[in-house]
Amino acid sequence: MIASLVVVLPFAGAVLGLLLPRHPHGRSPADNLAANKRAAWFGVVPTALSTALVGWLAWENTPSTSVLTKIDTGGIAITVGLEVAELSVLTAMLVGVVALAVQVYSVGYMRGESRYPSFSAFISLFTSAMLLVVFAADLLVLYVGWEIMGLCSYLLVGHWWEERANSRAAIKAFLVTRLGDVGFLFGIFVLGFAAGSFRIADIMAADIPEPTLVLATLLLLAGVAGKSAQVPLHTWLPDAMAGPTPISALIHAATMVAAGIFVVARLYVLFPQPTLDVLGVAAAIGMLGAALAAFAQNDLKRVLAYSTISQLAYMAAALAGGARDAAVFHLVTHGAFKALLFLCAGAVIHHVGSNLLGHMGGLRRSMPVTFTTMTIGYAALIGLPPASGFFSKDAILYGLERSSSPIQLVLYGSALLTVGVTGAYATRAWLMTFFGTGKIQALPEPAPGTAHVFDGREAPLSMLWPMGVLAVPALLLGFTDAGEFHLAPAVTALAVALLGAAFVYVIWRGAPERDPARLLGPFRDPCEQAFYVDRLYAAVFVRPVLALARGVVRTDDDVVDGAVRATGRATVGLSGLTRHLQNGNAQLYVTGVLAGVLLIAVGAVVLG
Amino acid sequence: MHVVYPAVVAALLFSVGVYGVLARRNTILVLMSVELMLNAVNLNLVAFDVWLRDVLHSGQVLTLFVIVIAAAEVGIGLAIVLAVFRTRKAIELDRLRELGEP
Amino acid sequence: MLLVALLALPLLGALALLVPGPLGAVAVRFGLVVSGVVLAVAVAVAAVFDYSDAGTMQGTVDLAWIPWLGVRFHLGVDGISLPLVVLTALLTLLCLVYLAGHRPPRARELVFALLVLELGMIGTFLSLDLLLFFVFFEVVLIPMYFVIAVWGGEGRRRAAYKFILYTLLGSAVLLVGLLYVWAQTGTLDMVRLAAEHPMSRTAQILAFTAIGLGLAVKTPMWPLHTWLPDAHTEAPTVGSVLLAGVLLKMGTYGFARVAIPILPEGAAAVAPWLGALAVVGIVYGALACLAQRDLKRLIAYSSVGHMGFVLLGFATLTPVGINAALFGNVAHGLITGLLFFLVGALKERHGTSDLDRLGSGLLGRLPYVGSLLTFACVASLGLPGLAGFWGEMLALQGAYEPAAGLPRGLFLTFMVIGGLGAVLTAAYFLVMLSRLTHGPWGGPGPAIHDATRVELTAWVPLVVLILVFGLWPSALLGLTTPAVHALLGVP
Repeated sequence: MIASLVVVLPFAGAVLGLLLPRHPHGRSPADNLAANKRAAWFGVVPTALSTALVGWLAWENTPSTSVLTKIDTGGIAITVGLEVAELSVLTAMLVGVVALAVQVYSVGYMRGESRYPSFSAFISLFTSAMLLVVFAADLLVLYVGWEIMGLCSYLLVGHWWEERANSRAAIKAFLVTRLGDVGFLFGIFVLGFAAGSFRIADIMAADIPEPTLVLATLLLLAGVAGKSAQVPLHTWLPDAMAGPTPISALIHAATMVAAGIFVVARLYVLFPQPTLDVLGVAAAIGMLGAALAAFAQNDLKRVLAYSTISQLAYMAAALAGGARDAAVFHLVTHGAFKALLFLCAGAVIHHVGSNLLGHMGGLRRSMPVTFTTMTIGYAALIGLPPASGFFSKDAILYGLERSSSPIQLVLYGSALLTVGVTGAYATRAWLMTFFGTGKIQALPEPAPGTAHVFDGREAPLSMLWPMGVLAVPALLLGFTDAGEFHLAPAVTALAVALLGAAFVYVIWRGAPERDPARLLGPFRDPCEQAFYVDRLYAAVFVRPVLALARGVVRTDDDVVDGAVRATGRATVGLSGLTRHLQNGNAQLYVTGVLAGVLLIAVGAVVLG
Repeated sequence: MHVVYPAVVAALLFSVGVYGVLARRNTILVLMSVELMLNAVNLNLVAFDVWLRDVLHSGQVLTLFVIVIAAAEVGIGLAIVLAVFRTRKAIELDRLRELGEP
Repeated sequence: MLLVALLALPLLGALALLVPGPLGAVAVRFGLVVSGVVLAVAVAVAAVFDYSDAGTMQGTVDLAWIPWLGVRFHLGVDGISLPLVVLTALLTLLCLVYLAGHRPPRARELVFALLVLELGMIGTFLSLDLLLFFVFFEVVLIPMYFVIAVWGGEGRRRAAYKFILYTLLGSAVLLVGLLYVWAQTGTLDMVRLAAEHPMSRTAQILAFTAIGLGLAVKTPMWPLHTWLPDAHTEAPTVGSVLLAGVLLKMGTYGFARVAIPILPEGAAAVAPWLGALAVVGIVYGALACLAQRDLKRLIAYSSVGHMGFVLLGFATLTPVGINAALFGNVAHGLITGLLFFLVGALKERHGTSDLDRLGSGLLGRLPYVGSLLTFACVASLGLPGLAGFWGEMLALQGAYEPAAGLPRGLFLTFMVIGGLGAVLTAAYFLVMLSRLTHGPWGGPGPAIHDATRVELTAWVPLVVLILVFGLWPSALLGLTTPAVHALLGVP
């Protein structure tokens, strides 16, 4: 019951936030402010209540299932119900806290923006959908939440729709994930029909033959790869950074993209070794490639986006290597520190008026709070003790080290290399943002993708508070699981990470004005373009489909409808042969009639 | 009198009528030919009525009907001819081709 | 008796409009009252409907009509027809509400046509006699022809001719099929035929092909769809709404009521072909939409795709699939009705439905219309939680495990293609939304007004129903499931 309240509260907030703030109608700036204020209440209060309820669930700590109703579809019934388990409560806690932080943060970030009410309502809707995914007891109910998250992602990435690029990014995000989701849906069918039920508990208990399981989980992986931005469906995530920064923090760093990992962890017993191997290969490629791409990016948010892909691949690798708990642990810590990083990045962008690293520099004096919190975030990302990332990465590396997976070496090697590259790109971004000399130029008006121009001050309190609050778990969350700490992998990882960081520092130290990414030499361009995957997809999928579409329109007009029109013309043409008989001379007609009568009479006499 | 005589006369009358309808150009003459055909039918009706000794004399009754209808038909027909002549200044059938396909 | 009232009310209303007099001046208001009463009666029918027994015919009326031919005036309603009857009554009322805000030219004639249309549509869904069904099926064509030909756009004549000739051709084939069934069995009673299906297998295949072809023209099934884009493009808004919202449903309803229950063996034999054409329609419609430049044509082609899902559902011959088809039917009626209302509103404001000339940034210029359009498109692309999803998802689910005797591998292929078609559907709707509603708009101007109160009155019921059926699919599935079980003879 509480779980359903947890899901419904943000949904109600979304509905109210969409419908009510604009009453009475008005679009003057004063009305906008009033509407925003009302909308902020609708956004923050339900999320806060919901988070509090999740907290209560966590404190109660009793697994339970509540079934609301069954939908009889004529085949296998759909069970509308929610299931509370340890994993779901943990993930829900993460979702609730980050969503709350982002809602509060957006109040400041979107101040005076006329479309703030819909913005906060969509965040509420997203929160509700994500919580539905987390608590769903039935795969099809999970799918409902899964898709609604995709829609919210689309709507929020396209929030500043005046800019064509944002609109395109939104479409790409939705379509790429939807492509994966079709596979996901088919995977659900395979599992559901094999088990005779779509309930997760029933499916996990059912005795399904291995080939079916492999097929089903591979199909599920398509959806997971889409949502969690794993190779080969990762291309939408960097573009999705066109959305407002709070959205990047919530949806594209902490929660929605983690949903794929969550689903694999939730259904982990169903995943046979072959599927995990496929997941492992994709993860191994993804984590290293994305980390390299992150090193070469010039846009702060894109750095963080590629970092997200890389870190999600970490979790996927842990799952592939059999270290499920480590993956979940990293999911939670990553959610905290990556959300923190994005919120800090938002503050920086807010302050500078540009996303580009080249426009930043020397910000540590003018933004002391942001500097501190963001440093914590980077420390966690690199895996420096005592930040949370240190512990979770350690757990993953330990798991991979002792994994029995046939591709254990690939996974472990790739993970270790990635640790080094992570250290490098995080250090590069940190140095280029906060150190060196300031290069801020005041822009006459907000650049696309930013809400404000440079005003030379630290961010407002409503933005600083969430950052401060998130910095606590980003720093300390690791100690909740410190009992599982293993020294050897930790030291190895720390050494590798520090090596990467030190390398970048030395390069940067030599010429603080120049981008350390020059270290990559001729590989810089491929890395910056993320190895041209986007161009490949455009050439292989997008353009052929568009050409096919134009071909269909032509065919439809020329062939299908052409046949119809030709039928009409043929009928008219045939009648043209006989119409000349109707020449207007009535006597000719009568002659014809007479001839006909004679013919019939003769025929009757002869044949009769 | 044998029935064949009126039958032959009727057939001849009918043929004259048919010829008139098909071959004459003057609309009034065509109408007259139609009358000839109707009267040929009338002759047949009366002749066969007598020959078959019909108790109800339906042949003769029908003839009366035909005469009445023919009268009405000629009335309307001549009125049409008159109207056509007033508007077109012509009553030649083969010049009245407005309804033909071009 | 309520069912007779459902038919008598629009008929009497239409006849009253024929009487010359003062009624012409208030024709739209009169039409509003009549269709309002019809909707009230339809709701009353739904209220007295026995939901625990949705699989059997209720409220039947069975009178001799042409006794020497054995044609009977046989009406009844069950779980399959009830939602469609209410949908028809609702959409007609909403169309008249929409007209009330627009002062159409020749209002009396238009309202007359709409009421006759309503009579035909409701009659089709109620009749249980094959010939009566056909009569109502045909009654619809004439008023729709006039609606397109008189109140339509530039190329209305051509479109109207194409519409009526094409659908009449289909009807002729349908009639041949129905008469063949009659000749084989000697009865026209659908209930009896469905319970006994006394025809031989060959005869069933023949009859199913003929009836199926006739219905497929109306549905429309690829490649018999080309009348639809033209008719939609030229028809006035109310014409488009009723055409997409109800008229197309008559074809699919025919499958559920006539073709499949009466000719099960014929259906089983033809089902793979039906499924193949359905998935071709899905992908073809989506691709055609992707390169379309005219908004009304785009939505017309999207109907081809959605009807593909409905036909795919039927082709599986499983309870799930047929449920999917019936759900998709109603959902498509609501969603596409709303889409055509919105596009009609856009066309009225901008004088064009060409995507290039409509300009961009609609969300800024007309926030209400833009948001509702986004909502309708998202519903139409099958987002879970909105009505469009269940029909698509269940149709694919049906194709995953089709009825026994159908080639499973083939249907799996259909499922995969249908799934890809769903992605393409999302693609063209999003591209269209991006071109139309996103992009620069140059700030607020005095030029055009946003949705009016009357328009919102006509649209909001559709929005609410889309949400209700999306969030609570049992509202519809609970009604159709028993009927589908009865129809397939599954206990």
